[in-house]
Amino acid sequence: MTTHPATTAPIATALTELRAHFGADAVTITPDGSGGVYVVISDLPVGPAYTQARTWLGFQISAAHPDADIYPHYTGALTRTDGQPHGQAIQHVTWQGRPGEQALQISRRSNHRDPAVDTPINKAVRILAWLTTQ
Amino acid sequence: MAHHAVNPPATGASLTIPARLWQQLHAHLFPGDHAAHGAVLLAGWTDGPRGLRLLARELIPARDHIDYQPGTTGYHALSAAFVRDNILRARDEHLAYIPVHNHGGTTRVQFSPTDLASHERGYPTLTQISDTPICGLVLTPQAAAGDLWHPDGTRTDLAEVVIPANNLLRLRPQPTAPSASDTSHASYDRQVRIFGDLGQRTFQAMRVAVIGLGGVGNLITEYLARLGIGHLILVDDDLVDETNLPRLSGATASDVGHPKTALASRLARQAQPTITITSLTERVEQTHVQAELRQCDWLFLAADGAAARHFTNAAVQQYLIPATQAGVKIPVRDGTVGQIHAVTRLLLPGTGCLWCDGLINPTDLAIDMHAPADRAAAHYVPGTPAASVLPLNALAAAEAVSHFMHAVSCLHDDDLDHAGVLHRPRTRTRDLINSRTHPDCRWCAPQKQFALGDRPTTNVASS
Ligand SMILES: [Zn+2]
Ligand SMILES: [Zn+2]
Repeated sequence: MTTHPATTAPIATALTELRAHFGADAVTITPDGSGGVYVVISDLPVGPAYTQARTWLGFQISAAHPDADIYPHYTGALTRTDGQPHGQAIQHVTWQGRPGEQALQISRRSNHRDPAVDTPINKAVRILAWLTTQ
Repeated sequence: MAHHAVNPPATGASLTIPARLWQQLHAHLFPGDHAAHGAVLLAGWTDGPRGLRLLARELIPARDHIDYQPGTTGYHALSAAFVRDNILRARDEHLAYIPVHNHGGTTRVQFSPTDLASHERGYPTLTQISDTPICGLVLTPQAAAGDLWHPDGTRTDLAEVVIPANNLLRLRPQPTAPSASDTSHASYDRQVRIFGDLGQRTFQAMRVAVIGLGGVGNLITEYLARLGIGHLILVDDDLVDETNLPRLSGATASDVGHPKTALASRLARQAQPTITITSLTERVEQTHVQAELRQCDWLFLAADGAAARHFTNAAVQQYLIPATQAGVKIPVRDGTVGQIHAVTRLLLPGTGCLWCDGLINPTDLAIDMHAPADRAAAHYVPGTPAASVLPLNALAAAEAVSHFMHAVSCLHDDDLDHAGVLHRPRTRTRDLINSRTHPDCRWCAPQKQFALGDRPTTNVASS
């Protein structure tokens, strides 16, 4: 478990929920330099649609949390088992939260967002479920 | 039309009362019966440019004859039960406790010997209970005096009460005396004839931020500097581009590639050589930029980004700093120009909120908070440059600064009007737009971030 410097109370709450769900060892936190954090959750199963069995899921919880959406999400490089390209909500990028490697950017907006429902943990779970069914 | 004496900002501790609370407090204390009434304000606090700022968050009116009644000495006092309930709330929510009552008179007020004796008897114990500042406050409709006690035992007079409404009211124990000698420069003679010597001195004493120094912010900066504002905080991380030149006052080709803050600073110094400028070539989400905004008396928001909107709105609501948003929208679709809007929106604490008006998109805010490379990648549908032209920017900038100068010199007819102004040049129409507030907004609703100042959010009892 990575220690992190003092953040806002809402960010601390979100990190507690993420660690409780995914396990403290799976959640890596890096400061983003502007009062927020980059979160990486490691070793998550992505289902039979991809040649890779497991990957990481990353996102930023910015200093504007909980007013800001969690958007976009990032994963390690994945290739589809059916040989097709990814859908239009997925792009190849590099990401500041893991600058040394190729990543996929997953762009799923929360329309009519409710901060009490669209929490970082709930959205991470939803993004993973969405990814496995693509 | 209410007439208010203009008081320049006073050095020392102050209390800011949002317009909505002031309206309620005024109605409670001055219902027209000329009798004594009482109330308590609970307040956050922060360090301001001229001293401690108490930030009124909630008004608890004392019921006549029940919570506020004649005491043993014959003078009215808050009941023991009312004091106990509210000092415990101040302790639990870590807020300043401000007992208020009214006196007769209009433009002058002071505590009576009985008032001061009761403070000396009661406040040392109350500050020990709450462990927060206690400030006795006495009001007439146009004057205020305060006796501020700290938990460490120190005691000071409150320098002023500030009410950021359509007029920016500053109440003091007595009106500021016009200076015997002429303190303002001779060059301001024509505008002193509008604002008075005290109005001009008020401009000189103010710290004002301009967030975003594009076409609108550049003009606002020039107007404020020429008006005589003493200290400008200029915020923009962007560089001048060749395509900006037709809309940037004072710009030449040699400004291309240099920060917009450098151009705006030069423009302001040309207008007013003795001006103080804090130039911040950075984005608003940097924490020290936000700290600078909190040291201001007024903010002008002339940037489009969601983060600029969010953090300006946060300073308005959490630190009770009035702001004006100014901008121009020119929709162009397939070469066809739609309805053009030049908008100025008044953001008063508790009565004008960019979240409540639906003007901040949470996903756009998330993207805006990213590091530059991630931000560019996250906008995977590239935007096209917006149409823009100087006279439309001038319409919004002039409306914004004109409203501000009327507010500061208390020249608006209506103290409590908080409408924005929408120009539609194509139809030659001009409308007032009233903003909404949601009762559960995280920023402007009474039980949330509103007026908390520096208090950590973790202490919010309701969250
Ligand atoms: Zn009295
Ligand atoms: Zn609001």
